[in-house]
Amino acid sequence: MALVLDILTTAAVLFIVTAGLMVIFGVMKIVNFAHGALLTVGAYASFVVTQLKLNPWLGAPLALVVGTAAGMLVERVIMRPLYKRPLDAILATWGLGIVIGQLVVMGFGREVQFVESPLKGAMSVAGTSYSAYRLLLVPVALALWASLVGLLSGTRFGVKTRAVIMNEDLARGLGIHSGRIRFITFSLGAALGSLAGMLITPLASVDPDMGLAYLVNAFMLVMVSGESMTSLFVTCVVFGACQVLVSTFVSPVLGGLTIAVLAAFTLRIRPRGFSHG
Amino acid sequence: MNPFNHRAAAGAVLAAAAWVAAAGASAAEPIRIGVAVGLSGANSVVAPAVVQSSQLAVDEINAAGGILGRKVELDIADDASGAVGAQKAYDTLVFQKNVDAVISMETSAARNAALPVVTRGRKPFIYTSFYEVHSCSPWMYVNGWVPDQQVAPVVDYFMKTKGAKSFFLVGNDYAFGRGMLDFTSKYIVLHGGKVIGEEFLPIDGTDWTPILSKIRAAHPDALISATAGGAPNVSLAKQLKGSGMDVPYGNLAIDEGTAKGMGDVAAGIYMSGSYLTGIDTPGNRKFVAALRKRFGNDTKTPNELSEPQYEAFYLYKAAVEKAGSTDPSKVIAALGTVSFDGPRGPVSMNRSRHTPLAMRLGQIQPDGSVKILQTFPNVDPQEQCPNIK
Repeated sequence: MALVLDILTTAAVLFIVTAGLMVIFGVMKIVNFAHGALLTVGAYASFVVTQLKLNPWLGAPLALVVGTAAGMLVERVIMRPLYKRPLDAILATWGLGIVIGQLVVMGFGREVQFVESPLKGAMSVAGTSYSAYRLLLVPVALALWASLVGLLSGTRFGVKTRAVIMNEDLARGLGIHSGRIRFITFSLGAALGSLAGMLITPLASVDPDMGLAYLVNAFMLVMVSGESMTSLFVTCVVFGACQVLVSTFVSPVLGGLTIAVLAAFTLRIRPRGFSHG
Repeated sequence: MNPFNHRAAAGAVLAAAAWVAAAGASAAEPIRIGVAVGLSGANSVVAPAVVQSSQLAVDEINAAGGILGRKVELDIADDASGAVGAQKAYDTLVFQKNVDAVISMETSAARNAALPVVTRGRKPFIYTSFYEVHSCSPWMYVNGWVPDQQVAPVVDYFMKTKGAKSFFLVGNDYAFGRGMLDFTSKYIVLHGGKVIGEEFLPIDGTDWTPILSKIRAAHPDALISATAGGAPNVSLAKQLKGSGMDVPYGNLAIDEGTAKGMGDVAAGIYMSGSYLTGIDTPGNRKFVAALRKRFGNDTKTPNELSEPQYEAFYLYKAAVEKAGSTDPSKVIAALGTVSFDGPRGPVSMNRSRHTPLAMRLGQIQPDGSVKILQTFPNVDPQEQCPNIK
């Protein structure tokens, strides 16, 4: 039972952390290497909430606001001039990640910070005592997936975004303002990254480098998933399960490698990855 | 007198004057001590405290007249907490800056990369961190603890006071984690216990979930961990607490600063070390007060990784004074014979390049402070370097 819960909660964490990266990659075909830094920013937003002695759940709206603001600023200033040069844009996001990390150090110092957890304690599930917060992340991940799918398939914005994803030039030919779509998408991706950072604070050490550890796996998952949120969800479940199984039955050191190895293997035999098209 | 004698006399006077000038210049020349520390990377969390300890020692020594009348200067370099960074940092300190000695707190990976550089450069090197043993070099002395000193209090306490028979060991997959748990495992078995699980995560791993599930399934009487300092301690403690498991947990790698930053997550964790801020000796009270005075609100909690650095500067001073110069070979010979009575009590690196220490067993309280449960005086580090005289 614990194994099943491990798999489900690990997949949930992977999805939550990767969703923001996926949103940006799907639309702009750019891997936002500042994603790790955005995770860190969201976690520090939680820290600020703890410092102000407010309800820890308020970390979520604060993280969203900070992430959106950061995303809007970055898209305007850094991404827009580099639209025609996606490789340079990727490099720029890497540099941005470093800058944001150092800003965090300058603002908060290098130490590990204490952040109040919104939910403490363990719950009993089918006879096994398990971390309540980890269990909570499963419905949170599902809700996130559902809202993103709903946004993309059920709204005008979603239709326009999917058009831009499929073929940007054609979409612009049809009158869709792709620049505005990119702006909104990048801000959304940054907001989701920041929110993810807030959501993982009860599991992680809150320090200036915390986001980096999640970046590599997120990158691998995005590469394999292609373009849709659903394929990302499926990938997270499958790869997450493999990581947990390898960690449990072989060794946690090899478990840490599993996602990277599986991603390389999958792309080799099926370059489209898990996406449908 | 004939002209030749005039010139010879003038030459002699000039030579004498030059000699005096040179001697005078070197007497005024400062003693440069290099400090390589992880300002970035895994150790960046504890680095500020290490730098403060170093600065305080240097300020105090200079205020008292320096070493042999010469001022001491600090040269701090970032080793990025790892081998690659250490190589660069040490090349700079030893060959470019040509420091007189190096006094460093760093990860085992960094230390192992540093030793060849220090050996080639023939510089006295005092390693001030605790570590997993058996690192020996004719140019190195160690004033941090070794497992022979640190593990025993924790295991003995669990076995005697908690009646623990079965142990689960968890660590990070690198020299320190493996070395500490290797020693712990042997010690437990030697004293009649059983090790029912031993699991490692990569040094930058954040997800302890599968390991926690294994611990849950194994039902050990006690849990002992040896992770890298800083972030891994925090993520393991948080996830362990979140899982709801209630098992006596001894952490071989935690320090007070990190404990304070963990809030109530760290409450109940057992730790053993040679330095705790709560140590009630005049030397420690003086040290803590001096830190507060010098750094005010920016004072970082002194801890096991930063306090030995302070003592090491005084040990170097004593060695140079005994040797009468900063000549590396003379200082190396002297370092093994001098002692310093500091915050931890008397420290003398006279036991196979390592020092006997008073070890304290403590338990972290809900407010992050550490309550000292027992003190073990003069614990022998054992013969760590039988081949080095």
